[in-house]
Amino acid sequence: MTEVNNALSPHGGTLVDRVLGPAEGREKAKQARIKLPLEGSRATEIMSIAHGFFSPVKGFMGHKDVDSVCKDMRLASGYIWGIPIVFDISEGEIKEKGIKEGDTLLFTYQDQPFATLDLEEIFSYDRTLMAEKVYGTTEDKHPGVKRTYAYKDKFLGGDVTIINQPKINPPFDKYWYPPKVLRQKMAETGWERVVAHQTRNVPHTGHEWLMKGAWFASNADAILVSCVVGEKRAGDYIDEAIVLTHDELGKTGYFKEGTHLTSILLWDMRYAGPREAIFHAIVRKNLGCTHHMFGRDHAGVGSYYSPYAAHEIFEQVPDLGIGSVLTLEWWYCPVCGEVTYSGLCGHDKEQQGFSGTVIRSIIQDGVKPPRLIFRPEVFDLVMEAGDKYGFGSPFVTEEYLAKRNPVISVPPMEV
Amino acid sequence: MAETYPINIWINEERLEKLQQAGLADMAQEAFAGLKKLPVPTNEQQRDAVLQKFPMAKYDSATTKSIELLPRDAKDRIFDLVVEKKTLDVIDAFLASTI
Ligand SMILES: [Zn+2]
Repeated sequence: MTEVNNALSPHGGTLVDRVLGPAEGREKAKQARIKLPLEGSRATEIMSIAHGFFSPVKGFMGHKDVDSVCKDMRLASGYIWGIPIVFDISEGEIKEKGIKEGDTLLFTYQDQPFATLDLEEIFSYDRTLMAEKVYGTTEDKHPGVKRTYAYKDKFLGGDVTIINQPKINPPFDKYWYPPKVLRQKMAETGWERVVAHQTRNVPHTGHEWLMKGAWFASNADAILVSCVVGEKRAGDYIDEAIVLTHDELGKTGYFKEGTHLTSILLWDMRYAGPREAIFHAIVRKNLGCTHHMFGRDHAGVGSYYSPYAAHEIFEQVPDLGIGSVLTLEWWYCPVCGEVTYSGLCGHDKEQQGFSGTVIRSIIQDGVKPPRLIFRPEVFDLVMEAGDKYGFGSPFVTEEYLAKRNPVISVPPMEV
Repeated sequence: MAETYPINIWINEERLEKLQQAGLADMAQEAFAGLKKLPVPTNEQQRDAVLQKFPMAKYDSATTKSIELLPRDAKDRIFDLVVEKKTLDVIDAFLASTI
């Protein structure tokens, strides 16, 4: 394997940018003979690829990359990579549509032309092997494994190009910062050191302190809150509530202006624990971050990974060019009289830990938690977001899953 | 005594007032930072029955060792039973009252 410099930022040295303007897009679309409609999570994955979030990945992976990522946690080129990015399809559909290697496929989304795939390779891959390597388990109770087993029997590999740029719908539009745009904004603002905070949660003060602690630890200019917007499960906070409440912490001064920015990452969580931590680090490096905070149970699920598995993996990989800020929990201590760091407070017996689950439970009871635990502005906004976007609930319901506003909309285009 | 798995009823002013009127205010415990909870105990069988009837609920084994995320109307009914019967031993009655 060739030795590569994994510390390059963006990953691999060049930011991927595969979004065409309308005229070029229409030209590119004309090359396509076969149309393939996409489901939502595919469309958002293409958004992330084409806008460079996943640099140096330029499309859906071919066999060599998938095999190398699964077995060695590297792309075939040698760059570290945690999760296979694949496009599955049934043998039947390949035959029915007459799809062949060398074709250009036109992906449609919301009945509009959206993107193309320059199809280099049609291949199959052992899904059990993929699950075992990526997730460390073959149990289909693991949501990532379940997803892997649900893949159809063939995969399409090739570069993707957006030929019809979608619109990001409110309230997400204000938080959409592709790497190129964010890097420019960071440069203009003079941010040289930025620490990323990955989240799928409405922030309680435990989260707030994780961010503040990471800011101190990395001597950062600013914190980038990177909210994962993607596949949801019933009982999760709705995406709108997550994004708006994080922004609110800045607007209401819990983070002073110029120290805090809220953004979104379009990605379906795989819950791959340490491997997903590696993936998150690379994506945030591509966004221009110099540091990434990792807490307890990062991207984990159930008890598949040890609570600090994400911490351990960074000792096993080469320098990724983004510092990992590894942190323990913050808890409420009645002796200290404050939310404090579990690595410093010695009142183990008296401490009153609070989890995201407990906070959700309190909110579900319609009870306003104390401001030391949960900011009142955040509480009010959670409720408002539930009314405005969640059909009366800040938590994901079947109704929300069926009727929510799409995050992206593809405008009409004639080809 | 066998281990119990509490259902935490979170206490707001309205619930506190009801507890006070029933002379049960002492049952509420400090949870954190001044927030009070009423931990209604369940035994293992009751816990499993509750989790089965309410698939949205979660047993938080890591932090609080309690049953969380029960729907609000279920919590309200448990709370009302406590106030009415003046005891925390209400889970069988609650389970019997749910279909
Ligand atoms: Zn203390």
